Amino acid sequence: MKRSDIDVAVIGSGPAGMAAAIRAKEEGAEHVLILERQEQLGGLLHQCVHNGFGLFYFEQDLTGPEYGHRFAEKVKDLGIQVLLETMVTQISPDRQISAVNNREGVLRLKPKSIVLAMGCRERSRGQLNVPGTRPAGIFTAGTAQRFVNVEGWIPGRKVVILGSGDIGMIMARRLTLEGVEVKAVVEILPYIGGLTRNEVQCLHDFRIPLLLEHTVTEIHGQQRLEAVTIAKVNKDKKPVNDTGQMIECDTLLLSVGLIPENELSRMAGVALDPLTGGPVVDQWRETNVSGIFAGGNVVHVHDLVDDVSREAEIAGTWAARFAKKEEAEKEKKILKPGRNIRYVVPQTISAQHDVTLYARVKDMEENVTLKVGDIFSESLRVVKPGEMLKIHLSHSQLRQLKDDAVELSVEGAKRRQNG
Amino acid sequence: MMRLSYPLRVQKGGKMVEEKIVCIGCPLGCRTTLKIGGRGEVLKVLGYKCNQGRQYVLEEYRNPVRIFTATIRTEKSPRPLLPVRTNRPILKSKLKEATLTLVRVKAKPPVKVGQVILSNLLNSGVDVVATDDLFPYPTLTLKGEGGVGVKECTI
Repeated sequence: MKRSDIDVAVIGSGPAGMAAAIRAKEEGAEHVLILERQEQLGGLLHQCVHNGFGLFYFEQDLTGPEYGHRFAEKVKDLGIQVLLETMVTQISPDRQISAVNNREGVLRLKPKSIVLAMGCRERSRGQLNVPGTRPAGIFTAGTAQRFVNVEGWIPGRKVVILGSGDIGMIMARRLTLEGVEVKAVVEILPYIGGLTRNEVQCLHDFRIPLLLEHTVTEIHGQQRLEAVTIAKVNKDKKPVNDTGQMIECDTLLLSVGLIPENELSRMAGVALDPLTGGPVVDQWRETNVSGIFAGGNVVHVHDLVDDVSREAEIAGTWAARFAKKEEAEKEKKILKPGRNIRYVVPQTISAQHDVTLYARVKDMEENVTLKVGDIFSESLRVVKPGEMLKIHLSHSQLRQLKDDAVELSVEGAKRRQNG
Repeated sequence: MMRLSYPLRVQKGGKMVEEKIVCIGCPLGCRTTLKIGGRGEVLKVLGYKCNQGRQYVLEEYRNPVRIFTATIRTEKSPRPLLPVRTNRPILKSKLKEATLTLVRVKAKPPVKVGQVILSNLLNSGVDVVATDDLFPYPTLTLKGEGGVGVKECTI
């Protein structure tokens, strides 16, 4: 394959990138190339040694490495080109890719279409503004996960975890099993940030205290973390006076949310949705830049890896079709987040074909009705920010849409105070 | 000092009378309470909202099992650790013991995904298997493309 005749280039080889590349190849794109900055395919799956992957995609309970292995085998079998240890440094609006590695130096590629599959990264202490000193011993949960599961280091002996995201809870279990004392998981909201499954199997199973409506208000220690002060928070998430208590610990893990990684997208002129942090995409996961598609956590942060791969497959399919100059029809209707909806993906739909919408709510509510304009409504017993909503709309339902914009909303509920 | 919001076993006179289990069947996450009789039998389930949920918490009370995942040390491999799992669920009360058992186990490449690393873990009849390949040391294979080296993917 000459570098000049690449049909589809995929940036990233996690569960999104590999799925997109495989689908693009199966869709008939001859030359598919994956660019990966690590030394192996799989992205973050290597460090996610726990199970719970692939329950929907493979209908099997797999671990992260097993899930990645299945895709990697297929990438090899299909003859998809892979450039490892290759960092993409720039993408231009006319789909020129600049990349660099230590074998070839600087590479310039001009694929017919591009799939963005860079995933997301963790929010860190700098984005939280936790007061106190700056000692060693403060990590994001994912960094600790890499230390423990890939490199073989234990980050500390007495741990407090701030935030109840899935990785934080999973690390609480992992560290406990490795003999580390997990003193508490502290969550500012009245409910957990991750999945109920993880609350039960990671916290309850090991009797790890979960402190809801609490946060870390101060960090103590000079060289190494010595303690944190935690306090109760009020409804505005502000610490309440005289509720502070000091917890002695040498390690603080942060599991406080993920941010889609879109520096390259920005360079390419891709418009980002401030609500998701990812590109604005249409039903085929094409961005506003013609021929640049996106899928997986780079678009919005998913709960389940299965959904990441499925979404990236849409991007892969249409990137391949774009490379063959088969373009999707451009009639677009805009989806708008309404009452208690934080975001909805895709942001625009064709209204001619079946579509699955992914949405996240702002607040937990019970006994609600989920509505898409006046074409769809479904009663739900509960909606939670930590559990993504999936709404399948058929083309016959969509044909009833009259306006150019349709609102997605959650209606008629009594708000629940405590999770 | 710390308020615990995890489910508790409520005991009276050394005997368990209540157990609280959160259902994980759907996002609702019903917090159920099981009333337990003198011989450990379930007298009543409260707080569930569907029949599957009731079945789940009963099973979770009688036989709480989990897939066990961990990492083990390696020898003669560029990767310090190999991820492993049990091929079937084990009792959740055995998870800690299972971790301790694996401290003494070392993996030597080559190892293939699914290969048995330790059979009959804690006499449970369950095997510990590798969840990733383990290669000796990376092989640099040169693929024809004007002498451009492309490293074999090692996942």
